[in-house]
Amino acid sequence: MIRRAALPPETLVPGVAFLVVLVTFLCTPLITGKALTTFDVYNTLQGLAQLGLLTLGLGVTMIAGEFDLSVAGTYVIGGMLAVRTGQSSAILGVVIAVLAGAAIGAVQGGLIARLRIPSLPVTLATYIALLGLASAMSGGLSVTYTNTAATLWIDRKIADIFTVPSLVAVVGFVIAAAIFGGTRLGREIRAIGGDRRASRVAGVRVERTLVGLFTISGTLPALGGALFSYAYASANPDPGLQPLILATVGCLVGGVSLAGGRGLPAGLLVGALAVALLGQIDAMTAIPDYYTDLLYAALLGVIVAVDAPGLRRGLERLRARTLTTRGSDRRPERVIDK
Amino acid sequence: MTAPNNDHSRDGAAATGLAEQQANAETAPQMPGRFLARRCTDPLNVVIVLVVLAVIVTGVLTTRFFSVANARAILSSSAWVGITAIGATIVMIAGSAVSLAVSETATVVAMIFLATQQFGLATAIVLALLAGVAVTALQGAVIGFWTANPIVLTIAAGFAISGVATWISGGTTVYPQVTRFNGLNDTPLGLPLAVYVLLVLTAAAQWFLRRTTAGRHMYLIGENPRAARAAGLPVAQVTVIAWATFGFCIAITGVFLAAFNTSANSALGGTLSLDVIAAVLAGGTAIGGGRGSALRTLGGAVLISAISDLLLLRGFSTGIQLLVKGILVAFVVIAVHVRSTRGRQ
Repeated sequence: MIRRAALPPETLVPGVAFLVVLVTFLCTPLITGKALTTFDVYNTLQGLAQLGLLTLGLGVTMIAGEFDLSVAGTYVIGGMLAVRTGQSSAILGVVIAVLAGAAIGAVQGGLIARLRIPSLPVTLATYIALLGLASAMSGGLSVTYTNTAATLWIDRKIADIFTVPSLVAVVGFVIAAAIFGGTRLGREIRAIGGDRRASRVAGVRVERTLVGLFTISGTLPALGGALFSYAYASANPDPGLQPLILATVGCLVGGVSLAGGRGLPAGLLVGALAVALLGQIDAMTAIPDYYTDLLYAALLGVIVAVDAPGLRRGLERLRARTLTTRGSDRRPERVIDK
Repeated sequence: MTAPNNDHSRDGAAATGLAEQQANAETAPQMPGRFLARRCTDPLNVVIVLVVLAVIVTGVLTTRFFSVANARAILSSSAWVGITAIGATIVMIAGSAVSLAVSETATVVAMIFLATQQFGLATAIVLALLAGVAVTALQGAVIGFWTANPIVLTIAAGFAISGVATWISGGTTVYPQVTRFNGLNDTPLGLPLAVYVLLVLTAAAQWFLRRTTAGRHMYLIGENPRAARAAGLPVAQVTVIAWATFGFCIAITGVFLAAFNTSANSALGGTLSLDVIAAVLAGGTAIGGGRGSALRTLGGAVLISAISDLLLLRGFSTGIQLLVKGILVAFVVIAVHVRSTRGRQ
């Protein structure tokens, strides 16, 4: 008899995925013939810096059962605003980008929470509009950031493996984890995602929390985009769907369910790290892109299977049938560690 | 996002919704005044009328906007997105929200179409359409039978499709050995062939959704899948049919894209996925399913084209065009939602 996993998916999925990716990462010297260096770790963390805040922003809305497609838009507009307004003062640029992201998020959150509109179409419209705005601000071309002092400051290595953006990303996850672990808010967010009506009845201020969450999912990507643009000394008005899709993969690998109610910041960090590691494995081994594409497809395929209620029901029926034919009527119980 | 989390639960709403529609249809002739008042305060109609009025007024003030040549340009530019959007409408009505694998599918179909040119145009078209239908219906089967989340699944499918395509093509641009497809770029009566295909598809989809049993099932499944299942409808099979139709439409767009560009690389699909969703939403189809029509989507696609065209004529950049498109979609989405919930509050 197959033993069922004793861990809930929000721990199991990121744990297993990360382990697989990490082992692959540690095995890359076998392919490349070169030992791993701190530079590889540094590069992985650079990947995390690029995706981390995006993943965290998207992830917290997904835990609450919403899906904020516009994170890719605030990411772009954050970078563009920071470069446009921060040529003389880098801090001013970041502040403006973050404020704009927060405002965009708050407006969307207000619409979604007060009118109870599904978040997907609203945030898709915002995403399209923000891409347009970024393109209009730059004439459709990349804008160079000429404040070299700021770029050098942001890009300098800290403790050999970190830079300012990757540290900021890690700090963001740590703060989120502290909030989820140490306050009632984390449980409330998961409750909102799990069963909104029940959480409202139980006294959770659903609307206010949602507006707050969307404000965060506007702010974090804008901050990430601003730092990324400074680090690369340019802002790209159209990075395509890739950042959004990778962030979604990061969230899903991180154990968040699109149906909501499941997931933790620690899982999100692990998911984002897994995606960053995959990118680094890619760069180190110089394998063709389609391998990565197929790998992502396989990863998501597993997640689809874990997440699909119909498939689960089907498998349980099948298992029940095989169990009864073997003369055992005991249904395996699922152990939940809470 | 999709049904399970909307706290204005749909359970029971389907029945009342349908009953309400019937009641409307029956009482409308007797009470034209009330019916008219309802129509006039319908937020969706208000938004659409305002937008169309704005387009007309600005159009009058813009030289060359109201000309036959420009009307052709608007229709032509809406054709490719429109064709796929018709299929996307059916899927959205049937409750599977959206697909994010449209660009990839269209690209692969275009590659197949070009790579099989030496077997003759008809064979190439059939193979291309079969590929599009097969790939998309397979996703529909996973969604229908296993209730997989369409967004995650289609992102995964997008990766898989483009991965396999790059693997087989070696990541290079696909060129046809012979070109037999020039006929697809014909412009009978001054309009590209794709426009006629779009019109025919719209009419067919409209008829299918309104007049056939499978079409009516799609509305019910989108509105309330549990009720549909309880009523004994073949939910999974109908979902597969919806996705297969979608695949057929994507494949047609892919064939036209291939014929127009005469070569295909991995970037051919471009932003098709999002453009299609924008057209369907701008037409007023509800993302949660159960509401919408092919005619509305045609309207949405043409409206987006007309606005882009107008902005272009007035010298605005592509960025501004995108910005306006996003704002339009936002307003329509809000209006559709306010309309659908107003009766229940």
